[in-house]
Amino acid sequence: MTESTAALVPEIELEQISMQYPAAFSDVLALQDVSLSIAKGEFVSLLGPSGCGKTTLLRIMADLIQPTGGRIEVAGKSAKEARLAQRYGIVFQNPVLYDWRKVKQNITLPLELKGVKKSEREARAMELLELVGLQKFADQYPWQLSGGMQQRVAIARALAMEPEILLMDEPFSALDEFSRERLNEELLSIWSKVGNTIVFVTHNISEAVFLSDRVFVLSPHPGRLSAVAEISLPRPRTKEMRNSEAFFRLIAQIRDSFEGV
Amino acid sequence: MDGPLAAQVATQEDPVTHQTITASQKAKRKAGDGKASRIWLPLAGGVLFFVLWELQIFHRIFDLKTYQLPLPSAIGTTLVKNFDLLVNYAGYTLTEAVLGMLIGSALGFAVALIAAIWPRWGSGGVMIVASLNAVPIVALAPIMNLWFGADIGSRIAIVAFTTMAAMAINAHKGMKMIDPLALDLMHSYAATKFEVFRYVRITSSLPFVFTALKINTTASMIGAIVGEFFFASRGLGYLLSNSIKVAKMPLGWSCIVIAAAAGVLFYLVVERLEKVFIKWHPSQRA
Amino acid sequence: MNELSGLSRLRFLPAFLWAVALIALWEIASWLLLEVLQVPMAQSKLPYIHEIVSTFGQYGNTLANEGWVTLTNAALGFALGAAAGASLAVLMSASKWMERLAFPYAVASQMVPILGLAPIVYGIVRDEQAARIIIAAYITFFPVSLNMLRGLRSAHPYALELMHSYAAKPWTIYWKLRFPASLPGLFSGLKIAAPLAVTGAILVELMGAQHGIGVIMLRNLYYGPSHTYMFWSTVIVGALLGVLSYLIIGWIERLAAPWQPEFRSKGGGR
Repeated sequence: MTESTAALVPEIELEQISMQYPAAFSDVLALQDVSLSIAKGEFVSLLGPSGCGKTTLLRIMADLIQPTGGRIEVAGKSAKEARLAQRYGIVFQNPVLYDWRKVKQNITLPLELKGVKKSEREARAMELLELVGLQKFADQYPWQLSGGMQQRVAIARALAMEPEILLMDEPFSALDEFSRERLNEELLSIWSKVGNTIVFVTHNISEAVFLSDRVFVLSPHPGRLSAVAEISLPRPRTKEMRNSEAFFRLIAQIRDSFEGV
Repeated sequence: MDGPLAAQVATQEDPVTHQTITASQKAKRKAGDGKASRIWLPLAGGVLFFVLWELQIFHRIFDLKTYQLPLPSAIGTTLVKNFDLLVNYAGYTLTEAVLGMLIGSALGFAVALIAAIWPRWGSGGVMIVASLNAVPIVALAPIMNLWFGADIGSRIAIVAFTTMAAMAINAHKGMKMIDPLALDLMHSYAATKFEVFRYVRITSSLPFVFTALKINTTASMIGAIVGEFFFASRGLGYLLSNSIKVAKMPLGWSCIVIAAAAGVLFYLVVERLEKVFIKWHPSQRA
Repeated sequence: MNELSGLSRLRFLPAFLWAVALIALWEIASWLLLEVLQVPMAQSKLPYIHEIVSTFGQYGNTLANEGWVTLTNAALGFALGAAAGASLAVLMSASKWMERLAFPYAVASQMVPILGLAPIVYGIVRDEQAARIIIAAYITFFPVSLNMLRGLRSAHPYALELMHSYAAKPWTIYWKLRFPASLPGLFSGLKIAAPLAVTGAILVELMGAQHGIGVIMLRNLYYGPSHTYMFWSTVIVGALLGVLSYLIIGWIERLAAPWQPEFRSKGGGR
């Protein structure tokens, strides 16, 4: 997870990606020539104001939409092959838990679709629930959990297929600041145990700085990559670092990069 | 209830459009012929249905005679021949339906209002009225006939009875489902209970009231027609059941056609009124 | 748990008292009409409730048997109509063409007085059994298909994308996501249709049949004032059948889709 090993093996590579949406009068350019490379085991954030195309970029990596131009490689394959091979797990802004399934069954859903045996599924679900600290809630319905807990279930579900990559689209944006910070810390602890590559979309600068090895800063109209910030804070990151001078300096630095746009 | 549902249906289109945008030209062409097929497809289906019917294909499949299931052409001829009578009767039936619906809806609204003012006891009243909803209309017909005679009054009573429940349930829901902040705002104005009703509860129940009215247009036509089946001497329901008894099938079918047209007309009028009265509601935005 | 049942008892108490008050009012009004105002046919217009109850005791078997015939016929038609309606909804959700073809007619049919078709259907098939079933099925068909379609479409776009990210097959998406998501819609359609199906069945019976609650309703009406208590009993059985059909569907809904918001206990949530 250190910079030196990270630079060796690329996990996600984008080359000149662009995305054009047809509109009534003129087509909207959501992304223009975005090129970036994300290393295996790296934690990166895509940061920017609304309309900068950060979510679009993530959805392209997930093969939920196809770019109108450029080349993309995920885990050494095309985005579609990576999706079909279940090389990534995805977490949305909402937990998107199925109301009719208990917490445990929500986590086993992707395993069910892959035909994993029931006993194996259940064991895996309990492991994951332990990882996110929700063992006690296995047999509750989603509505019986708080918003933060629901999002933790969504993370556990995304990890069910043991993917190399975790794609997260503003997963904590609907939570209050206190829950968000707590979940940031928890996510890092999960990541330190699982060790996969994480791409994290956010519009919150301090969140991006706290979590990431690198922050890709995007700017809107048209959406493009405007800066890359290396976050030199040591790992493991702790609550106390939020108050460190280095932390504030990094935030200021990134904020300045927006001013320049 | 309708609002969020409608919103969900609208957002659901998003992933579809995302997938079809790979070539913008293609997407535009698709949208274009989509609009056309939205009209032509059901129209063509309808025409095909009538042609098959006219050519007696259905008769052959289900082993029917034309005196059992008359042909569209025969129905059309009968309809034209008896047009004056049919329109006259349709007016009579519509009168029953409209008057009954107005009375029933007013009663239902009153129940909802009482329930909203005194929630502790009132909601029990709404529950009782709601259970009336399950009472078969046909069981009401003979009783209303005893009370109000064989005249127009008995059908108005039947219709009033059957439309009361939907209005009570919906209006009550509308008066209860209010943004708590809107109530706090009224409270900050030191508004009286009456003013809260006048300015907040009644207005915010209007969309629900119109939902109920739209449900009730259909229910009231059914109530009026079914009421006429048994003891009436005029009206579309009377003519319908009598024509069937004497095996004048085409005349019976023309009654249905006219009743359907009257029902749609009634519905459209209520929908128009809704547009006028609740312009501000999200469901009315283009 | 104890506290909960106590609460729900408290919730139904007002409705219960309302019912008691209405019955008392009815008895008084009935007495006024008969003894004080001496209105002609007073007992036919508003009979004593205790007399109806005693008729129930006397002819309970007949009423139950005939009611059962009506209910089973309505249920058979209802099941057929619901199955057909749900299938059409699935077809409409799966195929844009099918939707464009059928949806306008399904909506328009909601504005047409469907029960008016009862005599026509009866005229076509001339068989009480078949007519009852067809009418009940026809009445059930459209509300079920429209509500089911709304339910099938109610799956959240993110939930669909999640399925896409799992590379799920269309059939799997239906089985794991769309069907469960459509259950609330399906049941709201079924709850609208169930009392209507009973009404339709009774209507056909009134037009001519051998068995069913509608048949003895009509018979006792023709017998005149001497049979008024029996007539009223049949009316009440008809009403009870309608309410019963609604309650049965509600009960099945609780078993089939217990996760819906309205079944959630208020105290259990966090």
